[in-house]
Amino acid sequence: MTDLLQLPWHEARAAASGRELVEASIRAIDALNPKLNAFLHIARDAGEGMPVAVKDNIVTTGMPTTCASKILGAFLSPFDATAVARLRTAGCSVVGKTNLDEFAMGSSTEHSAFGPARNPWDTSRVPGGSSGGSAVAVAARMVPAALGSETGGSVRQPAALCGVVGLKPTYGRVSRNGLVAFGSSVDQIGIVTKTVRECADILGMIAGHDPMDSTASTHPVDDYAADFDTGVRGLRFGVVREAVGQLEGEVRANFDEALRVLRSGGAIVDEVSVPTIGYAIAIYYIVANAEASANLSRFDGIRYGHRSARARTLREVYFESRGEGFGDEVKRRIMLGTFALSSGYYDAYYGRAQAVRAKLRADFDAAFGRFDYLLTPTTPEPAFPIGAKTDDPLSMYLNDIFTAPANLVGIPAIAVPSGFSRQRLPLSLQIMAPRFEERALFRAAGFFELETGYWRERPPVCA
Amino acid sequence: MKIDRTEAKRIADLAHLEFDDAALERMAGEMTKILSYIDQLREVDIAGFEDVAAGEQTPLRDDVPRPPVDRAAVAANAPAFSDDGHFVVPKVIGD
Repeated sequence: MTDLLQLPWHEARAAASGRELVEASIRAIDALNPKLNAFLHIARDAGEGMPVAVKDNIVTTGMPTTCASKILGAFLSPFDATAVARLRTAGCSVVGKTNLDEFAMGSSTEHSAFGPARNPWDTSRVPGGSSGGSAVAVAARMVPAALGSETGGSVRQPAALCGVVGLKPTYGRVSRNGLVAFGSSVDQIGIVTKTVRECADILGMIAGHDPMDSTASTHPVDDYAADFDTGVRGLRFGVVREAVGQLEGEVRANFDEALRVLRSGGAIVDEVSVPTIGYAIAIYYIVANAEASANLSRFDGIRYGHRSARARTLREVYFESRGEGFGDEVKRRIMLGTFALSSGYYDAYYGRAQAVRAKLRADFDAAFGRFDYLLTPTTPEPAFPIGAKTDDPLSMYLNDIFTAPANLVGIPAIAVPSGFSRQRLPLSLQIMAPRFEERALFRAAGFFELETGYWRERPPVCA
Repeated sequence: MKIDRTEAKRIADLAHLEFDDAALERMAGEMTKILSYIDQLREVDIAGFEDVAAGEQTPLRDDVPRPPVDRAAVAANAPAFSDDGHFVVPKVIGD
């Protein structure tokens, strides 16, 4: 029965009932979660349908939402996120909430208040983050699909480290209603699956305008899998020169091999410069943190979540509830963001970062004038050991170096498995496309997947 | 950009975050290191890109009432909620 979860889901759906699929999923979760810590909550009353997991910063009725933080206590949302409601309407069943870095702030899931998730390819290593639990849930075949969220790469990077597909849609493509806000001008719900086709199917279910999200786009929803097997002949792929220049060793060799695969399909592959891309991390860590400092001010011990037992005055309710409830990384980012917005520093930090961001967008627009797609590896290195980077926040931030640009300029981007390192750790190719060109993205990613077939490999923990 | 203890305390107060002395010291050091990295943004020529948000509008909806969130669900999540539907907090005046 567990073999159902190895199949692409349109095959699984044909082979079993919705009840059998949910039961298979819950069994797999029970077997593997104690070792992998991918799930913070398992919905044993999940009923029937195609099993999906939801990152625990996306609200769901009938089960808790913790954002992997102590500050939300036993919060039960009175409403479903729009994306969750749409999945349910489309016949999916939410089997659990997945682990993440607290409030989606991190690249390893080590900042979860409930312990890290573990990479199924090597459980001494991180699965990436912040959507680490979602990536593990799919990679270890506990569910065929999971929702995650992106602010600087938090779906693509863990997907890369866990050897699965991760999509960040165009900003505004998927409603943010019910996604606990972190960086409002960059946040998007993203999708993790084992194959490109499944990813396209899920996007079709959740994409589209929503009156509850004023940043959601009215751009028509496409038939995302329509060009899935039409190949890449004549399509123009731009390799981002400033990204590739730094690459060496296995990651370089793997990336070059990916380019060879694309060329073998008749793609035109050339270099392109995106001069401002080197500043993306600096821009991101001002803009996202500034927005986060505003968004996280709602966690104040008044309406929900943790209220400090020591608080005797209103001021103490705020200061001590937040001091006790937030982890160190969250506090660090709130402090950076508060600083960047504070009087005397706003123009020099937030204002300047937004201007450089606009320049970055102009660079991307120019590059897309000559190319249909832009390419980089998804991450500079494969999964690192748990604990290796937790003492150095800045070195952790640099994991987002290839992913954060797409968030800042609002374009869609997908991570696809591209092979393995000598240590049998997944490697990943990132493909970016212009805004609302997800259908084209699936075309390129679908070709690459068909040629390479890495999705058929299973982590040792699944054997 | 160097963040010293005084500056860290100013920011912590704005952010409504309580830190003990050791934690504040650590935070000041970490922020200094991160801001030093971020300071490379100063070297970028931003001529022509300063007025980013010009012309942007937030879409508005009609001012028509909609059903509110279920009060029982709100009460269930609240640390302290009175029978007549108020969030209970410590006395504000005379703080």
